Amino acid sequence: MLGQGFVSAAAIAASVLFILSLGGLSNQEKAKRAVWYGIVGMAVAVFFTSFGPGIGGYWWLIPAMLIGAVVGVYVAGKVEMTEMPQLVAALHSFVGLAAVFVAWSADLERRRVLAAQAADGVMQEFSAFAALVATKAPDELTFLQLEVVFAIFIGAVTFTGSVVAFGKLAGKVDGKPRQLPGGHKLNAGAAALSLLLAILYLNGAGFWTLILLAALAFFIGYHLIMGIGGADMPVVVSMLNSYSGWAAAAIGFTLSNDLLIVTGALVGSSGAILSYIMCKAMNRNFINVILGGFGGTQGPAAEIEGEQIAIDAAGVASALNDADSVIIVPGYGMAVAQAQSAVSDLVRKLRASGKNVRFGIHPVAGRLPGHMNVLLAEAKVPYDIVLEMDEINDDFASTDVVIVIGSNDIVNPSAEEDPNSPIAGMPVLKVWEAKQVFVSKRGQGTGYSGIENPLFFKENTRMFYGDARDSLNALLPMVE
Amino acid sequence: MKIGAPKETAQGEARVALTPESAKQLQKLGHECLVEAGAGAAAGFNDDTYRDAGVSVVESAEALWRDADVVIKVREPSETEAHYLREGQTLIAFFWPAQNEALLETCKAQGATVIAMDMVPRISRAQKMDALSSMANIAGYRAVIEAGNNFGRFFTGQVTAAGKVPPAKVLVIGAGVAGLAAIGTATSLGAVVRAFDVRPEVSEQIESMGAEFLFLDFEDSQDGSESGGYASPSSPEFREKQLACFREQAPDVDIVITTALIPGRPAPKLWLEDMVAAMKPGSVIIDLAAEKGGNCDLTKPDERVVSDNGVVVVGYTDFPSRMATQASLLYATNIRHMLTDLTPEKDGVIQHNMEDDVIRGATVTHQGDITFPPPPPKVKAIAAAKPKKKEKEPTPEEKKATELATFKAQTKRQVGLLAVGGALMLLLGQIAPASFMQHFIVFVLACFIGFQVIWKVSHSLHTPLMAVTNAISGIIILGAILQIGSGSGVVIVLATISVLIATINVVGGFLVTRRMLAMFQKS
Repeated sequence: MLGQGFVSAAAIAASVLFILSLGGLSNQEKAKRAVWYGIVGMAVAVFFTSFGPGIGGYWWLIPAMLIGAVVGVYVAGKVEMTEMPQLVAALHSFVGLAAVFVAWSADLERRRVLAAQAADGVMQEFSAFAALVATKAPDELTFLQLEVVFAIFIGAVTFTGSVVAFGKLAGKVDGKPRQLPGGHKLNAGAAALSLLLAILYLNGAGFWTLILLAALAFFIGYHLIMGIGGADMPVVVSMLNSYSGWAAAAIGFTLSNDLLIVTGALVGSSGAILSYIMCKAMNRNFINVILGGFGGTQGPAAEIEGEQIAIDAAGVASALNDADSVIIVPGYGMAVAQAQSAVSDLVRKLRASGKNVRFGIHPVAGRLPGHMNVLLAEAKVPYDIVLEMDEINDDFASTDVVIVIGSNDIVNPSAEEDPNSPIAGMPVLKVWEAKQVFVSKRGQGTGYSGIENPLFFKENTRMFYGDARDSLNALLPMVE
Repeated sequence: MKIGAPKETAQGEARVALTPESAKQLQKLGHECLVEAGAGAAAGFNDDTYRDAGVSVVESAEALWRDADVVIKVREPSETEAHYLREGQTLIAFFWPAQNEALLETCKAQGATVIAMDMVPRISRAQKMDALSSMANIAGYRAVIEAGNNFGRFFTGQVTAAGKVPPAKVLVIGAGVAGLAAIGTATSLGAVVRAFDVRPEVSEQIESMGAEFLFLDFEDSQDGSESGGYASPSSPEFREKQLACFREQAPDVDIVITTALIPGRPAPKLWLEDMVAAMKPGSVIIDLAAEKGGNCDLTKPDERVVSDNGVVVVGYTDFPSRMATQASLLYATNIRHMLTDLTPEKDGVIQHNMEDDVIRGATVTHQGDITFPPPPPKVKAIAAAKPKKKEKEPTPEEKKATELATFKAQTKRQVGLLAVGGALMLLLGQIAPASFMQHFIVFVLACFIGFQVIWKVSHSLHTPLMAVTNAISGIIILGAILQIGSGSGVVIVLATISVLIATINVVGGFLVTRRMLAMFQKS
């Protein structure tokens, strides 16, 4: 058994390692080291806490860890890169559920200790967390109850929210925003009821209040995320990420564990900032995204004239052979069609013939921030030709050919041209300024936001219909 | 209907309004084509090629004017030709109705319909029959070639074993179609080209052709869209500024090509005598506005004059005619497009639809009436270009002031936030137990660190970031570990489940992040 000094030292080391781990993600090369900092930090934290003072129950602990580790290795090894968003969402739900369980346990322990103390009035030997509770003064116990309420509420919202987000991202639940009749009033009612339960609990009501509280929070998490459209999922996932951090921090307060607090706060604030960055990239109000649906339009959207002109692979190939500069704009459609390696082959061929080929990535392309970068990296596209919107947006005007693969809203000119458009003001990739634009798309439908895209009707746009991977594979042999 | 092209009577005119190629297209519309013998000779089309294309060659002009229902020409008709016109006959030519009022009266008196190719409105639909543009394009090209012919040096700069050759400096005044064509030709020959125009919105077009736009800083600049894409007369103050700009350029440039024209007015004098005097000997001025009096003081129409200081001033008015083959091909195509619009059913019957913006605009006499000037077209010529906002360079003082203001505002906000935060902490400290406050300090600092660290994370690594934070959020496992040794059965079960799922999260999260990061590679 290790002394308290060891555990504290380990906590400090782990905190520093976690901070280095997050900070190290500032570039690709450092990131590979940064993830090791995180792994070592976690190992140190778990090891020293497990063998710290007052820990028992190893017969339970070690098998649970082993099983969990095996499942974790299996899942991480099996998952496709395109399924990354749903995996992250699913993992968040675990953190939320664990937070609820731990908070419940904390209250059960508190009750047990109080009951024991009331029964015989003398100090009794308690093990584990109960021993800590026994030393607490009454006002500290009140705060402990408060922390338990927070942990349960946030944890429960994270749990069901993540499960729904997982369902939507995996396509198991319909991506359209859907709410029960009553809408946000239902959420507000549930929240008010939760508050009432919390007050009851603080005033000494039984354990049932906490169960009911969790149930209400489960409902809020479910209903809140059901009401958010699939296109906003990147923000939702990062927001849930943030919640899982806050839940961990709340547990840290309950258990008086600084390492939990530090780590939870790190995760919580990083998730919050990431959500903010993404909302800014979409020119959306954070509150608006969370409450679901696009803001009301101020007038009829501009009518689109003209027709979509289709083109076949041979036409695209000849334009590519003539082009000197090519920019590829991938979107969620590329992920769905698993077309990233076909894209990579195309890029390799084009680059081999001396063309300047680059990628333009919109901050919210895909279903996770940076989703496209990960997919392209998987297909071995060098990351130094993968550029962000701000880096590449001015270059479209001097580009010969732009290939849009499965993206829609992020290349929609009405964001700039039509003040009545629901996405007006959102920064978009100005692909239409290029000499020629090819859009690889399954059919004539609208994008996730359900908005008509005038790009498809522009004179310099040609529609290359079909599954992205099949289209690109058809294209490949024709490109010199 | 019979469409006939007579031989041009104007002196030096080598172009022809019908080519064998356009004749074939016209026959597809159901028309029959006539051409006067020898009409295309000067443009390189002999009578046999016309015959091969199915055109009947008519011996005399008189016979042609008599037989044809539609006469197509390049130049406006001479007095004699105007008297050949008869009722119901249509004449298509460059007519210049504003300058040729007497001729217009004659045609009206003859009862003929006259379509002036120079009056085709400048709307996108009519571009295919905009003969002025196609001729101006040729003139601009030829102007550079003509300049090269009179200029004793290379256009392009070269460094050779025999010495260094500086590139020729070309100034193009007026960036209409001719000006832009001249810019394009001169830059592709390797010259350094500068260009000026009174319409600031063409600066983009000038720069796109590879020339430098000479920008005049002037409040009251013109909006070309008001006048259908053409320039209009400028104020005296503007003129002064403009001339000062040219005076500055004069000693520096080797070739000046002036193309400044204002519709319906004599050409503005822009290159004055003193500017010619300031130029280097051997320099060349090509005045494309010579026909309308010239932009240069020394210009004599149709002549090449040499100034006292050895500057060559070329005032030819027949640049398109000097490239007669090319000019005829383009002009005949413009005419052919006009006839296509006049023959909507493709059945060889001309329907003169006065409701059509293009046809209405170009028609100057019709059924015994003078229909000039036309009403303004229903479609605006070109979209009103948004004036390019020139960012005003802030002075150093202004810059400093704004910087100071933002600094102050930021300080105010930050101090405000800190004060509010501090007050809240104080309040919390009053009610919360000391042990809570200790943890709370840690919490706030950690939030702050997270806040600072994440801003630096590269955008492309946001997904790995999320996976890492997700893995790290599995730290919740510590909570479960701390509880698992409890004496209560329920707690043990709950804690065990928590440990299990948190472990999945930690292990899965880290492994998947490693997988992702391993894929990122540099080219």
